[in-house]
Amino acid sequence: MAIAIEKNYKEENDQWNIKLSGEMDINSSDEVKKELQDIIDQNIADIEIDCEELSYIDSTGIGVLIGILKKIKKSDKTIVLTNTKDNIKRLFNITGLDKIFIIE
Amino acid sequence: MKDKVSLSLPCKADYVTVARMTTSVIANKFNFDIEDIEDLKVAVSEACNNVVIHSNIDDFFNIDFFLNGKTFIIEVEDKGKGFDIQKYEGPDLENPSENGLGIYIIETLMDDVEIKTEKGNGTKIVMSKFLK
Repeated sequence: MAIAIEKNYKEENDQWNIKLSGEMDINSSDEVKKELQDIIDQNIADIEIDCEELSYIDSTGIGVLIGILKKIKKSDKTIVLTNTKDNIKRLFNITGLDKIFIIE
Repeated sequence: MKDKVSLSLPCKADYVTVARMTTSVIANKFNFDIEDIEDLKVAVSEACNNVVIHSNIDDFFNIDFFLNGKTFIIEVEDKGKGFDIQKYEGPDLENPSENGLGIYIIETLMDDVEIKTEKGNGTKIVMSKFLK
C-alpha cells in the first residue's frame, strides 16, 4: 500500500498521535480519511500527525485533512503536523493552509 | 528532432503514481533541482487527479513531456467530458474546502499554465516550467 498509518491515543494530554509513512495521494487518501474518521468517532481530541516519513501529499490528501479539521474544530480541537518535510511545508504555505493547520 | 516522451495511461487512480514517477525521472534528466522536481510531481499529479476524478472516461488519457527551447512543457490531455472554464472559480483560501485546490496548486507551482477545455470536448492542460 502507498501509505502506512499508526495511531495511538494519549490520555494524559487528550491527544491522538498519528504517524503517516509514505505518500498521501489519490490512491491512499481515502484510507487515511477512514482511519481519521474512525478515531474521531471514538474520541474527538487534538490530532498530532508525525510527518517524518510522509514523502508526498497533494490536494487529495490536503482535502482529507481539511475535512477532518472542520469536524474537530467545532469542538475547539486542532491538527498539528510535526516533522514536516520542506516540500510539504511549501505546499501548505502556498495554499495558505499553514494558517489553519499548525505545521512544525 | 525534438525529444518528446509520450505516455498513454489508463484513467485509473493507480496510474497517477506512474505519471508522477515518470515526471520525476524526466525532470531529473533536465537537471531541475529537487524543489522544482517536487513541484513538477505535484502539478502533474494534480492534473492527472482531475482526469481520473472528473473526465468520466473509461479508457486512456495522454501525457506528453517535451522541451520547447528553454521551457519544459507537460501536456495532460483527455477526451472526456470537459468543463465550462468560465464557471471555474478558484478556491476560497479563507474558507478552504475539501475539493477544488488542484488547478490553483498547478497554477502556483508552474511558471505558465494554459487550460483548453469545453463541455463535451475533453480537456488539455499545458503546464510549463522554465529551465534554470
